[in-house]
Amino acid sequence: MTNFNLLTPRDTVRAPYRVSLLLIFLCLSVILAPPDAARADSHSQEIPTSYQMVAETDLFQLYVDSSTLGFKLLDKRSSYLWHSGIDEIIEGDRLNNSWQAFARSGISIEYLDARAVNRRVSIANTEHTLEVTPIDQGVSAQVTFLEYDISVGILLQLEADGVRVEVPFASIREGNTGFRLGRVYVYPFLGATRGGSVPGYMLLPDGSGSLIRFADTTRAENMFYGRYYGPDLGIIASQPYDPLVTNPYQMSFPVFGIAHSEEQNAFLSVIEKGAAYGELQVHPAGIITNFNFLYNAFIYNEPYFQATNRSGAGVTVVQRQPNDFDAVMHYRFLTGDEANYVGMARNYQQYLVENDRLHRIEDSNPNIGIRLEFLGGDKEKILFWNRFVSMTTLGQMSEILTGLQLPNPDVIYYGWQPLGATSMPPTSLTLEGALGSISELRDLSDQIAADGGHFSLYLDPQGALWEEPGYSVRNDVAMAITNVSLEGYNRYYNLFFTLDALQRRYSTLSADVAAQLDVGLALDNIGSMLYSDFRSSAPLNREDAIEAYRTLLADLPLRLGFYRPNDYLLGLTQAYYDMPLGNNGYIYTSEAVPFLPIVLAGYVPYYGGAINFSSNQQDDLLRHVEYGIYPSYFLTHEATANMLNTRSNWIYTSSYAQWGEQIRQTYQWMNALLAPVRGQEIIAHETLAEGVFATTYANGRQIIVNYTDFPFVRGEITVEAKNALLLENRL
Amino acid sequence: MKRVLSLLVLLIALSVTGTPVMAVSPYTTWTLGPGDELWPTQDAYTPLDQIDLPLSGPEEMFLAPDGFLYVADTGNGRIIKLDAEFQITAEFGQGILESPTGLFVDEDGTLYIADADKNTIVILDANGSLINEFGRPSEPLFGANRAFLPRKITVDARKNLYIISEGSVDGLIMMNTNGNFIGYFGANSADMSLKMVLQRLFLTEEQLDQFIRNEAASPSNIAIDNQSLVYTITSGTDSNQSIRKFTVSGRNLLDWTFGSNNFRDISVSEDGLLLTVDADGLIFEYDLDGTLLFIFGGQDRGDQRLGLLSNPTAIERVGDDIYVLDKDKNAIVTYRVTDFARKLHDGVRLYMDGFYTEARPYFEDVLNYNGLVVMAYQAIANAAYRQGDYANALELFRYAESRRGYSESFWELRNTILQQYLGSALGVLFGGWIALSVFTRFERRYNWLEPLRRRAREAQKIRLVDDFIFMFRFIKQPVDSFYYIKQNLRGSLLFAFLIYVWVLIVRVLSLYLTSFLFSPYSTSWQIQVETEVTYTVLPLLLWNVANYLVATISDGEGRLRHVIIGNAYSLFPYVLFGLPIALISNLLTLNEVFIYTFSNQLMWFWIGLMIVIMVKEIHNYSVSETMRNILISLFTMAMFVLTGYILYVLFNQLYEFILAIIQEVGLRD
Repeated sequence: MTNFNLLTPRDTVRAPYRVSLLLIFLCLSVILAPPDAARADSHSQEIPTSYQMVAETDLFQLYVDSSTLGFKLLDKRSSYLWHSGIDEIIEGDRLNNSWQAFARSGISIEYLDARAVNRRVSIANTEHTLEVTPIDQGVSAQVTFLEYDISVGILLQLEADGVRVEVPFASIREGNTGFRLGRVYVYPFLGATRGGSVPGYMLLPDGSGSLIRFADTTRAENMFYGRYYGPDLGIIASQPYDPLVTNPYQMSFPVFGIAHSEEQNAFLSVIEKGAAYGELQVHPAGIITNFNFLYNAFIYNEPYFQATNRSGAGVTVVQRQPNDFDAVMHYRFLTGDEANYVGMARNYQQYLVENDRLHRIEDSNPNIGIRLEFLGGDKEKILFWNRFVSMTTLGQMSEILTGLQLPNPDVIYYGWQPLGATSMPPTSLTLEGALGSISELRDLSDQIAADGGHFSLYLDPQGALWEEPGYSVRNDVAMAITNVSLEGYNRYYNLFFTLDALQRRYSTLSADVAAQLDVGLALDNIGSMLYSDFRSSAPLNREDAIEAYRTLLADLPLRLGFYRPNDYLLGLTQAYYDMPLGNNGYIYTSEAVPFLPIVLAGYVPYYGGAINFSSNQQDDLLRHVEYGIYPSYFLTHEATANMLNTRSNWIYTSSYAQWGEQIRQTYQWMNALLAPVRGQEIIAHETLAEGVFATTYANGRQIIVNYTDFPFVRGEITVEAKNALLLENRL
Repeated sequence: MKRVLSLLVLLIALSVTGTPVMAVSPYTTWTLGPGDELWPTQDAYTPLDQIDLPLSGPEEMFLAPDGFLYVADTGNGRIIKLDAEFQITAEFGQGILESPTGLFVDEDGTLYIADADKNTIVILDANGSLINEFGRPSEPLFGANRAFLPRKITVDARKNLYIISEGSVDGLIMMNTNGNFIGYFGANSADMSLKMVLQRLFLTEEQLDQFIRNEAASPSNIAIDNQSLVYTITSGTDSNQSIRKFTVSGRNLLDWTFGSNNFRDISVSEDGLLLTVDADGLIFEYDLDGTLLFIFGGQDRGDQRLGLLSNPTAIERVGDDIYVLDKDKNAIVTYRVTDFARKLHDGVRLYMDGFYTEARPYFEDVLNYNGLVVMAYQAIANAAYRQGDYANALELFRYAESRRGYSESFWELRNTILQQYLGSALGVLFGGWIALSVFTRFERRYNWLEPLRRRAREAQKIRLVDDFIFMFRFIKQPVDSFYYIKQNLRGSLLFAFLIYVWVLIVRVLSLYLTSFLFSPYSTSWQIQVETEVTYTVLPLLLWNVANYLVATISDGEGRLRHVIIGNAYSLFPYVLFGLPIALISNLLTLNEVFIYTFSNQLMWFWIGLMIVIMVKEIHNYSVSETMRNILISLFTMAMFVLTGYILYVLFNQLYEFILAIIQEVGLRD
C-alpha cells in the first residue's frame, strides 16, 4: 500500500537545453550569493496593475491576472494578501525559466509524447490561447496549449470561505494523438514562502497529520509526491510487498494546509471531487528551489509498463482513455486564532458536516468505548485436508466479556465464517459450526447491546482470498490495465472483486445479516482501498467507484465500522478503527499532529490499533489519551500457539489469559481520563514543554499528557512521569 | 573500570531522553521462532533520530571507554570525536591520515587507525600526536608474497593489534604496537563444493590456474569484548557461518548462527549482547552464544523514512540505544530500545551470567508479550531443568526445539520411571513367560486352540490372506518365494498394490510418529505430505518400469506382473519394521542414537538385498547380469527424470512464446 511515489528531481524536471546555461549561472549565483539574500521576502501587499478585481464578498476580494490566470486574494479580516504565484524573482530563489513559468502560471500541464515521455509546460512558457470570461463571482477560462493541441478549462470563483477552483472534464480536449494530457497542476505556488523567511508550516495528510516547518534547508533529498487514497492498483496491478518494511499510512483525506506565521494567516485546501486522481506534491525549501510550496496535481493519463512476456520485456505505453472526472477544490482561508493546524482541522470538520459527509454519532453510554476483536478461528492443513482450529467460540467470548465487565465494548468477530478467517465469507449468514449457532450469536449480541456495547462481524467485502473456493477468477475479479488480476494483501493475500461481484456478494450477505440479527459490520479494506477496474466488460474508474461504494454501503441501516476509512466514507462511519498514532516518520517532517483525531472528535468514536502488538505500551497508551483515541485489543480464548499452523499466525499474541488483567486496568485508567470529554470536540492542542502536551475539549476540560521520565509541574498541578491528568478547567 | 563505563553509558542514555518519536516504525521486527523460522514480533527498537554530520563517506565508528564516540571520517582523512550531544569536541590525524577505515580507541584515549590509502597502521595519542606509524611487517614469517592492506583493527588488553588485511587468506594479522608481526589468528576455512572437487579431479594444473583459486574469504569487520574474545564477520560466505567468535587460542565458538552474507559491522557489548548490521540496512541482535534475538531495519529506497538505512558502515550500542553510521547519508541514525526488548535484554544478561532462576521471571514476561520467542522458552527450560522440574523442562525444550535439552530432560524422566517400575516390570515379564510356557505345554496336550487354527487354515484359502501370509515366507526363504511369484503360484497384483499403499502409509505415519529427537522436522506442520508422497511414489514407479524395460532387452525372463509383485514383496522389511522403529524412537535419548540409526540401516540393507535377489530370481540372471541390470535400470530412471525435465522446460518455453505473441497482438490492434 505504498502510496507515495517519490520521484527524484531528475525524473520530473526536464529543463530545455536552451536554459541549461542559465541554470548553471543560477546555480553559481546560489552558491556565490550572500546567505541572507534568500531571507528577504519580496511579497508586497500591493496588487500589480495586471490584476483585476473580479469578485468580492464580505470577507474577501479576488483579483485575477487574465494573462497567467494567477490570482490574489485579499482577506479583509486581516488585510492579508494571498498570492497564487511569485511576482518578482530575487537572487537566491533558485528558479530557472521552467520553474519561474510554473510559479507564475495558474495552470500548468504535463504532457506525454508518443513514447510516453513526460514534460511539463506552463501558460507562461509556451504558445497558448487563453479565453477568459467573467462568470458569477469569478472567471471561467479555457487554455489551449497550441503546440500539443491540449485544451483545459478552469473555473475560479469566490465563495463564502474562500476560493473554489474547478476543472470540468467536459472542458478537456486532446486534439493531437501524439500528445496526451498527463497531469494538470493547479496553483502550485499559492501561499509559497521563501526558505525560513516567514515562520509557519505546511500541513500534510500523513498518518494522523504532520507538519513541515518552514526552514532554509531541509533534510529531504527528494520531493514528497503522493497519491490521495494510495496508488491506483488498476495501474500498478499488485501491491508491493516487502516483509521487512512496513507500508506507510496512505493519505486518506485529500487535504493540505499552509500557515503563515502561526495564528495569523492560513489556508486549507480541500478536494471535493477528483481526489481519486489527485496527487499531492510537496516541495520543502532547499530541494531544487528556495521555496516551500505544495499543491494538487490531477492525473488524466498515466503511462504504464506493458510486459509482453513473462521474462519482463515490454513497452511503456499511455492509457487509452483519459480518466473521466471533474476536479473541484476549495481553498478555505483562516485568520487569527484559527490559523493553525487545530483551526484547519476544525475548519475541515465544519466543511464535512456542512456537506453532509460527517455526522454526529449519538451514544448515550457515559463510558468510553474499547474495541475487542476476537478471532473465531482459522483452518489448518492436516495431511490433505483442512481442519478448523477453533480459537474463540461464541460461548467463550461471552465468558470473556462477562469476566471483563466493560461497560461499552465494541466487539468485532473475525473469522466467523465456515473454516474461519482465511476462507471466503459466505453470501448468506452462515457461522462455522464449531463456533456456535445463529441463535447463540443473537443472544450474545443482544446481551452486549443490553450492556451498552456493540457487536459487529468482520468483513472484507473487496477481497477474493487467494486460491480459495467461493468465487470465479474468470468472472468475478478486477483486472489491471495490463490485463492481469489485481493482487494485494490485507490480512491474507487476495485478489479484488469487480464492482458487480462486490455488490452482489455484499448486498445478499448484509441483507441476510440485517434480517436475522441486530449486529453491525466491521468493514475492512473497502474504506481505504480504491482501485479502478479495466475489465473491458465493465470498466470502472476510481471516482465512480467512490460513488458506487457510498451507494452500496448506505443501502441498509446497518451499523458500520471502518478500518482507517478515506474521507468519502466518514459519513457512513459509526466507528473508526486503527487510528494512526502518528505519522510515517519522513525525515523532513517536523512533527506529527492530531489533525485527523481533531476532525473526528465529538462526531465519530475512533479506536487505535490493537495494543497487543505495541512495543512501548505506556507511550502508546499516553498517545491514545492525548489524541482521544479509544483502546483496542486482539483476543482469542485459546493460547496463541494453537494457531501456529494457520494463516492467522501473524497474530503472535492474543490469549485472553495473558491480556485479560491488563485490559481491565487499561480501560479503567483511560475511562477515568477520557469519559468526561466523551462526545466533545477538541478545540486546542498545544505543547507545554518538551514531551508534555495539552488537549482541550469544547466543554472546557483539558488533558495533560507527560511522556517524559520526570514529573511535570506547573502551578499547583503535577503530572506524574509517563502519565496523564484530567483538568476541569483549562490551564 | 567496568563500573565507570556503565555509569558513563547511563549518563549518555539519560542525556538524550526526550519525546518519543510519533511515527510508525518503517520496519517489521522479526524474531527466531518455531521451526528455526523468522516470526514477526513487537518492535525491539524504534527509530529515534538521524543526526547529520559534516562527514564524507565515513567507514567506522567506535564508542570509546571514556564514553565519547569516535568516527573515522574517511573521505576527509580525519577522526572526529563526538560528545553525547553529537558535538565535535576534537579532530585527529589531519595531515597524517588519508583514508582511515578502521579505528580502535583504548581506555587511555590512544587511537589505533587502519589507513586504506597509505596501507599503514597509525597510532595517535589522546592529543592527536603521532606515536607510531608502520606498514607491512618485514618478518619472513609474514610470507614473502603476502600483501599488507589494513582495513579494520582492534586491540586487546595486552595491546596486541588484530588487523584485517584485505584479501588475506590466513586470517587476522596480529602485531604489537611497535609494528612487529606476531602471527596469524583465526583463519576462515575455504569451502569445497562438489563442483570444485570435480574440477580438481578432471582439470589439468594449467586449467585450474585459470579459475580463481579457492581461497578462504577474509573477514570484513572485527570486534573484541572485555575478555579479549575476538569476533569477526565475513561477507560473501554462508550466512550461517558469517559470525565467528574466537577464543584466545583462535578456536571458533559459534558453529551456526542465523546471519547474513553481507554483514558490514559487528559490535559486542559487555552485558552479553551482540549487534551486527548488513549492507541491506538490516540490524541483527544476538546473545553472546549467537542466538538470534531480533532482526529489524531495511533499505532506504528513497522513501526517506526515519530508521531506514542507505549504506550502513558501522554499528555501536550506546546505553539502551543503537547508533548506526551511514556512509551515504553521512549521518548517524539512532534507535531506542522498547519496553518489550528491555525485558528480554534483562533476562538475557542474567541468563548469560548463569543466573537461570533469576532470569526466569523476565522471560516469562517476554512470553506474555509474544509467545513465539524461542529464546525465552530455552531459557525457562534451562531454569526448570536446573531446578529438577524435568517434566516442565521437557515440554519447554520441545517448544524451544532444543534437541539436546529435550534429550537430557527425557533421560532424567525415563530414569525415574525405570527406577520406579523396573523391578515390577521385570516381574511381570517373568510371570508372563512362565504363564505362557505352562499354557503352551497344556495346549499341546489338549489342543485348546485347534478351532482357531482350523479357522486360520480356512481363511488362508482367501487369496489376499494367503498373499499376506506369503509375505512372512520371504524372511526365511526369499529365493524360493520369488520363484513362486514367477510361476504365478502365489502373490497377486492386488496385494502388491496394497503393499505399495501400505509403504506409503508407513512413510507418512513414521514422519509424524518418529521422536522429535530423530525427526528431521522440528514441528509437525513443516511436514509436506504431498512432497513425501511424490518422493515415495515416483522412485517406486520409475524403478518398476525401468527394471521391466531393461529386462525385456537383456534376456530377462520376468514379466511386468512379476516385477511389480516381486518389488512389492521386496519392500516387506519396511512394511513390517518401519513403524515399530519410529515408535521405539520415542523411548530413546540422543545417548542411544546408534540403536535408531543402526536398526534403520539394517532395514534398508535388507530391502536392498531383497531387491537384488528379486532381480536375479525373477529374470533368472547370473550375479553379474543382475548387477548390470540394476545399474542400467538406475541409469534409465535418471534418463526418465532428465527427459521429463527437458520436456517440461521446452513446453514452458513454448507456452511463454505463444503467450507473448497473443499479448503483443492484443496490444497492437
